[in-house]
Amino acid sequence: MIKFKGVLGRRALLSGIATAAMLVMGGAALAQDISGELAILQWQGGVDAEMWAKLEADFVAQHPGVTVRELAITAQGDARGGIRTAILGGEKVDLIINTWPAFRKELADAGILRGLDDNWTALGLDTTLSQSWRDLGISDGVSYGVPYTYGDRSGIWYKTSQLKDAGVEVPKTWEEFIAAIKTLKAAGYDTPIPMPAKYWAHGEWFETLLLRTGGVEAAAKLAAHEIPWTDEVVKTALRKYAELLNAGCCGTPEQMFAGDWDMSADQIFKAGTGNFLLVGMWVNARAKGEYGLTEGVDYSLFQFPSLGLGHDDTSSVDAKELLATSNGANPDAADAFLTYIVSPEATKILADYGYASPSSNADTSLLGPVQQQATAAVAASKVQFVLGDLLPGDLVDEYRVQLQKFLQDPSDANIDAVTAAIEAKAAESY
Amino acid sequence: MIGRVPNWIVWVVGVIACIWVIPIIGIVVTSVRPPADVTLGWWRLDNIRFTLDAWMRVWDEYPLANAFWTTLWITLIGTSATMLLTPAAAYAFHFLKFPFRRTILVIIINAFVLPVQVVVIPLFQLWRDTGLIDNILAVLIPYVGLSFAWSIFLVKNFMEDFPKELIEAARIDGCGPLATFWFVVLPNSLAAVFAVGILQFLWCWNSLLLPMLYLRTNIPLPVLLTRVSGTYDLNWDLRSVAAIVTTIVPLIVFLVFQRQFAAGSQTRTGAKE
Amino acid sequence: MSISAADAAARSSQESSPVGGGRRKPIAVRRRRLGEVPAAWLLIIPVLILFAITVIYPLVETIRLSFFDIKGLGKPKFIGTGNYIKLFTDPAFRNTLWTTLMFTLGTTTITVSLGWFLAMLCSFAPQRTLVFRVMIFAAFGISEAVSGYMWISMLRPDQAGLLNSVIGLFSPGFAHPWLGDPNTALWMIIVAASWSGVGLPLMLCFAAVQGIPRTVLEAAYMDGAKPFAIMRFIMVPLSMPGVRVAIFINLLGALRAFDIIYVLTGGGPVRSTETVGYFMYRESMTQFKLGYGAAATVILLVAVMVVSIPAIIQRTAGAK
Repeated sequence: MIKFKGVLGRRALLSGIATAAMLVMGGAALAQDISGELAILQWQGGVDAEMWAKLEADFVAQHPGVTVRELAITAQGDARGGIRTAILGGEKVDLIINTWPAFRKELADAGILRGLDDNWTALGLDTTLSQSWRDLGISDGVSYGVPYTYGDRSGIWYKTSQLKDAGVEVPKTWEEFIAAIKTLKAAGYDTPIPMPAKYWAHGEWFETLLLRTGGVEAAAKLAAHEIPWTDEVVKTALRKYAELLNAGCCGTPEQMFAGDWDMSADQIFKAGTGNFLLVGMWVNARAKGEYGLTEGVDYSLFQFPSLGLGHDDTSSVDAKELLATSNGANPDAADAFLTYIVSPEATKILADYGYASPSSNADTSLLGPVQQQATAAVAASKVQFVLGDLLPGDLVDEYRVQLQKFLQDPSDANIDAVTAAIEAKAAESY
Repeated sequence: MIGRVPNWIVWVVGVIACIWVIPIIGIVVTSVRPPADVTLGWWRLDNIRFTLDAWMRVWDEYPLANAFWTTLWITLIGTSATMLLTPAAAYAFHFLKFPFRRTILVIIINAFVLPVQVVVIPLFQLWRDTGLIDNILAVLIPYVGLSFAWSIFLVKNFMEDFPKELIEAARIDGCGPLATFWFVVLPNSLAAVFAVGILQFLWCWNSLLLPMLYLRTNIPLPVLLTRVSGTYDLNWDLRSVAAIVTTIVPLIVFLVFQRQFAAGSQTRTGAKE
Repeated sequence: MSISAADAAARSSQESSPVGGGRRKPIAVRRRRLGEVPAAWLLIIPVLILFAITVIYPLVETIRLSFFDIKGLGKPKFIGTGNYIKLFTDPAFRNTLWTTLMFTLGTTTITVSLGWFLAMLCSFAPQRTLVFRVMIFAAFGISEAVSGYMWISMLRPDQAGLLNSVIGLFSPGFAHPWLGDPNTALWMIIVAASWSGVGLPLMLCFAAVQGIPRTVLEAAYMDGAKPFAIMRFIMVPLSMPGVRVAIFINLLGALRAFDIIYVLTGGGPVRSTETVGYFMYRESMTQFKLGYGAAATVILLVAVMVVSIPAIIQRTAGAK
């Protein structure tokens, strides 16, 4: 985790004391006093929607004076279109569920979000969330997001029997990884890494490679466009990516463009033509539900192999967070919910659905073995949010298309062309 | 029945229809096989098991009956309004002379290019100001209003080979423009009107974006069933059930209206020649 | 809910009153019949009102937005014709024009010709082909997201794909990534879109031909006319309104196509299947650059008007 940075300022200290005093005097009453309607903007479907219904019911059970109204935005594809439409149309809610840092900034710039710095301690978030998680929810220096779940995006999924049969040890270093790919190819696997390059998942490899070459600092600077895309860090990461492609990891570009991550997962766990998948923790649910595999026995995950460039203690993560609004009718209930979402009760519900919580109240032993392994790996790393979700909308699109071009031709000359093209787009996006 | 219809005609149509229906068979099969068995394709025969799990889950977890009635109600009003207003306007545009006729027609027909996504936000604000959010009028008005571009074009085109002599005859009999429409033109345009009915019914029934944004308490089936899949739990078995459940009613309507085409042709018997 | 429903019913009965009035007093009309102009306005007023709310107002709003730079929820900034200038220099947008042309021509040609052909065949045996027509039309009713998934599974790049395994029967080990190869991806989208589209021209042309009185057909048969002759001289001319409408709806549907492209290829590989409709959706809904998306809409609207106005004027000139 990121070290606790800086010294507490005097202002923060004072406000800390003040809120602590408030808590002592009115803290007990605070929990009971809230009432009225709490409006939450919820855009997820399937089991996520089910989980949210449970969380809300549990919250209401604890605070009988409150009713929860879920403003359910049904989304097809990208949910942000629907959320923006509702907000522009004048809908007012107290809490917004969010998973895109770039969207948080957009909401904050529009003046819709309420900064949580003044309340952070009063809500008890300073004890339940470590500083590095708090940092992930900061836009322009203000704390907005309260992360309630996160996932490891630098873990590589594999099927245990495939590696065992091919006599491959779980690779620790980049060299071992490349060697493993060659061994697996020799063992008859066409595409050891069935690369899902249809939409965005081919960016995952680049993003972790970037972290491992330049560290969280370089990745954060690139996301903020403080260093250009033509920087040597980016090119080095792409060259490492090219080593993978040149080792014959992924077949032809046409094969890569043909599918998304679910098809890649099928190829590994079902068709048995591939071996490695770098994508989010949601693969876990699919492996259990769709393929009927046993977590930790039939399949597992290992953390990205070390490059030896001095930044191997980094991991890419995604997170979902709650944002409090400045125009909501019931900020007190919203605050109570922010405290609730990191409480032992809420993290238990999250764990039931296979979601890891960043809260110190979370009991990681409730999670499956592979999940525990991933949370331990994240806890031991410096974390950085997935790059694709940090970039402005039109840039992220160009970035993914240019990476597709890179997959077509991973030569040094094309790396120059591709990075120059992304940089050209970035120049007009910020 | 016409005698001597060559059998090969029926065969050709039948073979094409059977090819056409392959993806739909896929949807049906996906809905009744365990997801694990169809991951690599619904046509795989390596492990044949059937289950009604997906059907039960959709039935248990989603208030289908309520959504069904909401959808039916909205669709019926939306469809009948279009079926009523469109032929009247098409008649006026085609047979009557009035100022700005062409200009208005050009504007209405070209409006079809306007994507719904563009309409969505201005209307959202309008409905909020008028308090129509969560009122079925919020979707009904655009369903009907946006249908005119294609429906008027359709009916007007079908009216183009309407025999002018009949109109003249009606006029000589003393019918005004309204009576001519109601007694002469409308009964002879039923095939077009029912074609409009089928399309409008289908599009209202399947409409997703507008009710998704404008309705809250009573939501139609397609919106409800969009929620069966999450961001990463793709649930194709549940989505297949959803697709079947939503498509079945428009198909029945299609069947019923198809019969009306034939009925339309009979009333028109005297019209030709 | 019940109040609003009653309200709607009241409205719709009000709207239909001119028509109802005509039915109730056919005799009275004889003496004091409405002049052509008032009658025309009476018939189109409800249409105009609904049209103004749902089309004209959003359209004006769209034109206004197209002069602003809007990024997501940020404050709109007036930039005059900036969006238009940017559009014409945006390689991604120019790229969509060619793709749109191919996609539109491809789907319209396949759908309309096949649908028309089937409608002609079905017209010979309306009853015996009813179930086949329903089968073909069913594709038209399936949401594109779900049918897209079916196509993805059938077009899988490995040997497991249905198309690949069928071809594999003749050439073992065949595996072509249909949707990943820029040379075949657009064609596969055209096939998938045409698959769902054929029901429309089939239905419309069939409806048009159903206007033929049975007696005419029977008389023709009696005279010993061959099916081809009947088709050539009776059915083809009658099906033309259906063909025109089908082309119109197909063309404009193709310009707006989004779902099927998103599901099958996401606009890729490397933008090779991005159409104008996809571009507009991406800009205005995903990236929420409303101004930019609005400008693209306006350009499309103007382009379509330029093409369609002469046709409409020519067609309306014939009306008496």
